[in-house]
Amino acid sequence: MDRWKQYGGLAGLFAVCLAAGLWGFRSTGGALPWAKRSAQALQRGARAGGGALVDLGRGIVVAGPIRKGGLVLEFVGVVAALALLGIGLYAYASRYRGLDDSERAARQP
Amino acid sequence: MAHIHLGEGSFPLWALALWTTIGVALVGAVVYRIRKGGIRTNQIALAGIGAAASFAIFQLNIPVWGGIHMNLTGLVGILAGPLLGALIALVVNIFSAALGHGAVGLLGANTLVNASEAIVAYYAFRTLLRMDWDIFPAGASAATLGLSAGAILMGAIIVISGVNGSALPRGDLTIAVAGLVGLNLGVAVIEGILTGFVVQFLASVRPDLVGLVDHTTGEESTGVTA
Repeated sequence: MDRWKQYGGLAGLFAVCLAAGLWGFRSTGGALPWAKRSAQALQRGARAGGGALVDLGRGIVVAGPIRKGGLVLEFVGVVAALALLGIGLYAYASRYRGLDDSERAARQP
Repeated sequence: MAHIHLGEGSFPLWALALWTTIGVALVGAVVYRIRKGGIRTNQIALAGIGAAASFAIFQLNIPVWGGIHMNLTGLVGILAGPLLGALIALVVNIFSAALGHGAVGLLGANTLVNASEAIVAYYAFRTLLRMDWDIFPAGASAATLGLSAGAILMGAIIVISGVNGSALPRGDLTIAVAGLVGLNLGVAVIEGILTGFVVQFLASVRPDLVGLVDHTTGEESTGVTA
């Protein structure tokens, strides 16, 4: 397919989604964290608000329930355990595949 | 980032029973399909890594659109497939709920939402590749479409269920939920671009991970460019 059609389709999809996002941002209170926005919108309905779309000063923070509950260590532990499991299985799968390939090669005349 | 962040007791009991039953049915069907069709070891490995990445990013609030988190469920669906993608959604939601991010009672509903993102992203990606799309636009579009589907499903679940303690008439609740869904569509663009770059990078270094090369033979498929 022509590249301009692909990127045109992607741009159209992004334009629709961004327009919806901007409307949703303004109609549900403006620059509010998601949990506060969600609770406010569902309890009191849609209320217009403004504010910056990007607030770099706020930084990237761990989700409130984890941070306030003192569960950051547990969060890091779960991530590390899942990552180790995945990497371990990946190494095992690569080795297993290597053995399988060598067996297959050995069987060939 | 579609995810129902309401606390325990926010949905009426019948709604909890309904979404939990549908969620259990989905997971049951997925497990049955996996047991019947089998699964490659490397897919399980990818699922583990995908679950770790999705869980980690689930808990990180980024300062865009007022403060949101990403899911990476579109990426997970594209890499691990629809079956393992649905199971990853379940695992990520269980761990999240255990840490207080999302209610335990909403596990069924949240699993449905996130599994739908992975499933739609996977099939959209495959369809676009069959239509001879390049990797980046296919990955970005598929992830955006998947996340949009999840956001709409999330909105539908909330509107159908109603929210305990909310005095809003159903019409006003629908408008408020539509705003939340709209915001999720905006977030889907950010996640779609990120997914597009990740998938394009993986396709250039390990095309077998995105299904462009047969994992066992190493033969490259034709008609697809990175």
